[in-house]
Amino acid sequence: MSTNLLIWIILSPLIGAILNGGLYFYHIKNKPVSDLTFSLIGTITPFISFLITLSLFLRMKDENIIFNQQLFTWLNIDKLNIEMALLGDNLSIFMTMFVTFVGWLIHIYAVGYMKGDKGFGKFFAYFNLFLASMLILVLADNPIILFIGWEGVGVCSYLLIKFYYGKKENVIAANKAFIVNRVGDFGFLLGVVTLFFAMGEVDLSFTSIEANLGNASPELLSLAGFLLFVGAMGKSAQIPLYVWLPDAMAGPTPISALIHAATMVTAGVYMVARFHFLYIDLGDIGLFIAYTGAFSAMLAAFIATRQNDIKKILAYSTMSQLGYMFIAVGLGFYSTGLFHVFTHAFFKAMLFMGAGGVIMALHHQQDIFKIAQHRASLPIIGFTFLIGVIAISGIPPFSGFFSKDAILAAAFQEGQYLIWGMAMFTAFLTAFYMFRLYFIVFVAPSPQRKKYVYTPKTVTIPLLILAMGAIGAGFLNLPSIFGGHHLVDTWLAQLNSKTIHLSHSTEYILMLLSIGVASLGIYVAYKKYANFDVSKPEEEVGLIGNKFYVDEIYDVVFVKSLKKVSTFIDKVLDTKIIDGFIMNSSSGFVNIGKKVAMLQNANVRFYAAFMLVGMTCVFIYLFITLGL
Amino acid sequence: MISLTSLAFVSMALFTLGAIGVISRKNIFVIYMSIEMMLNGINLFLVTFARYHFNMDPQIITIMVIAIAAAEAAIFLSVIILLFRSKKSLDTDIFTTLTQGEKS
Amino acid sequence: MVDLLFLGLSFLAIGGALAMIVYKDPMYSALGVLISMLSVAGIFALLNASFLFMVQIIVYAGAIMTLILFILMFLNIKEEDLPNEPNKFKLIALGAVIMIPLNFLVLKAVSKLPAKDLLLTNTDFGDIGPIGTVLYTDWLVAFELISILLLIALIGSIVLAKKRNKKVKNKGAVS
Repeated sequence: MSTNLLIWIILSPLIGAILNGGLYFYHIKNKPVSDLTFSLIGTITPFISFLITLSLFLRMKDENIIFNQQLFTWLNIDKLNIEMALLGDNLSIFMTMFVTFVGWLIHIYAVGYMKGDKGFGKFFAYFNLFLASMLILVLADNPIILFIGWEGVGVCSYLLIKFYYGKKENVIAANKAFIVNRVGDFGFLLGVVTLFFAMGEVDLSFTSIEANLGNASPELLSLAGFLLFVGAMGKSAQIPLYVWLPDAMAGPTPISALIHAATMVTAGVYMVARFHFLYIDLGDIGLFIAYTGAFSAMLAAFIATRQNDIKKILAYSTMSQLGYMFIAVGLGFYSTGLFHVFTHAFFKAMLFMGAGGVIMALHHQQDIFKIAQHRASLPIIGFTFLIGVIAISGIPPFSGFFSKDAILAAAFQEGQYLIWGMAMFTAFLTAFYMFRLYFIVFVAPSPQRKKYVYTPKTVTIPLLILAMGAIGAGFLNLPSIFGGHHLVDTWLAQLNSKTIHLSHSTEYILMLLSIGVASLGIYVAYKKYANFDVSKPEEEVGLIGNKFYVDEIYDVVFVKSLKKVSTFIDKVLDTKIIDGFIMNSSSGFVNIGKKVAMLQNANVRFYAAFMLVGMTCVFIYLFITLGL
Repeated sequence: MISLTSLAFVSMALFTLGAIGVISRKNIFVIYMSIEMMLNGINLFLVTFARYHFNMDPQIITIMVIAIAAAEAAIFLSVIILLFRSKKSLDTDIFTTLTQGEKS
Repeated sequence: MVDLLFLGLSFLAIGGALAMIVYKDPMYSALGVLISMLSVAGIFALLNASFLFMVQIIVYAGAIMTLILFILMFLNIKEEDLPNEPNKFKLIALGAVIMIPLNFLVLKAVSKLPAKDLLLTNTDFGDIGPIGTVLYTDWLVAFELISILLLIALIGSIVLAKKRNKKVKNKGAVS
């Protein structure tokens, strides 16, 4: 049913962004504005979005309706009709709920983290703008509006990664993120265009695409599905477009928490789920998606075992968990994948915020061995970090276990034993490297005497709230063998996702296997790192330590070759041939003009001579015609 | 031996030498005298044909030409005096203020 | 006899013209022109144009060339005032090449005319009487216009050669 509230979910942070931006200009040009003003505007606006979403959610739960809002017609050219409309069905409101909630908590956290930074107002303007773009993406009624949000989050990601623009590496990392994302976006746009032409050029909203899917030929639909997934590859950091995610850790920790853990990177998963009606019939493309997810998960887990930067380890673990999500949605288990998105948002954001707290307490030190050498006593952060690490490893009863186990069961049920095997091995590696991180940062014996460092309440309270979510969120989708009611699955029933219906004994065995694998990982990490000598850090060497040289390969294959081609075109084609041709023809004209101008040299005898020559020509002509 | 062709030859020779003098000499006096030479050659041509056809008209025309030459002499020489006063030289190549290309 | 006379006069005419274009000193050029004019007058006489013979000597040789020589000497030309002409002979050659087609054309055309004997006759053709008659009957308007032209030339030459004080004053005011 139609409502006017949907637009305010988006407009609230957008207005916050504009206000913060305007006040920031005022702040740097005229009088300084206090940080309190910026933070109030920056944190109240996402909370307003959350409240609106909550009210819509409650109404939807009671009355079983969906909301939509038609704003205006954006483009109406011949057969192309794009409306600016918002759709608040179960999937959108589900995503919006946790996006606004986690986003609001991270905004509060950022108030404490960014304190004292001279770009404080600018940060909150960008942050709110990001939230508005993400909400446009999630609430869109047709793929074009989704693409607006898609691009918007890419831009805000760029702006925020290069927030500390004083260091050149940060700007380069931001450029890399944007450019790699752009490659994906190109694929996405091609996919939308293919869909448009494949369906015979009908109205482009999601509901109408779903209705008209029969018009299109299967080959074009496969192509469209593949191209749309290319966009997801870029945005959600899967192979081969993942190289930007580790470098994106150059930005401040709040944005790593929000953008690169909970929201932007899950946009790809959301998009595949949103196009469920397309992918459900494309079994081959779905399998391809699942394999991509599996390989990305494994590759990321391998690399993470040898990284020394705390945020980079978490970045690779994000990529790995995204791989899991894609395994689920690739095989048709959309609600399972989205459930993992939901739980992952909580514990990953919490892990990042905890890491940020540690970094802040040790004056922006990010190497885990150096953090261990100068360890401070951070009780709350340590506690929440432990909860997050346990959750991500998949140990019950924390949320990560339920969502990850559901994905593993899904892979097993579909008969994709290779994917299941890879996912199990990745679970082992995940437990291993996450606990390696925990042990080194918080447990291994340190030469430093522990001294207590105060962390502000704006950091600790969101951490505790998220910890509760990390623990409790799993119970929202409790499978029936535990007597649960599959709340998330029933909520997202519109997606017609496949459900898990293995026999109970098989499910128990699978669960025990995954718990066993995770425990094995924890044990190995414990043996190796609980008493590690932190004064002799592990180096990032070898194939794994150098991230399988993927960045270097990309550099040689794509960057250097393109640079050679463009240098050639610039120096040779442009300067010598094209410019040379034009400049020479113009100077040729000038020279001819100069030579002609020599005829007018005001020398009288010269003129007289020329007159005589003219007469001579006439005489010659006369001679010839008179035939003498 | 006085044939039409030889008389025509003499008159054309005078005309040609006058034309050559106009374009090859720089001295303003010589240019003027070459112009007079050209007129002379034409006068001879006219008178030849007056005698050839026994017609008076070319001779009258010759008188006109001589009168015009006299008038031209007066003006031309005044101009030569003016030019000599301003530039103190008899070179015709130095009057180049109306030039379009490089000033020589 | 007449032939020899004609030959000699032609040589003098052409030689005088050649002297005019070759010599650097304008005095020598003027003298060359004078000789040429007198020779042409002689040829006029051989062609039965007795009046024109006299007019040529009186007006051309006597007035115009005298005027030229007068101005030449009036301007008090020294050696350094004369322009130096390094390419004189090259330009003369060039001019000769340019003028060849015209000569060729005219001489060819004239040679096609039927030949006639152009000796002196005993008629009064070319005498002053018949010329005067034709001049005042058929060519009256031209005659009057010529006299107006001479008047204009007279006024013009005086105006052009006058010293202008005002012009000098203007020059001083501008600079």
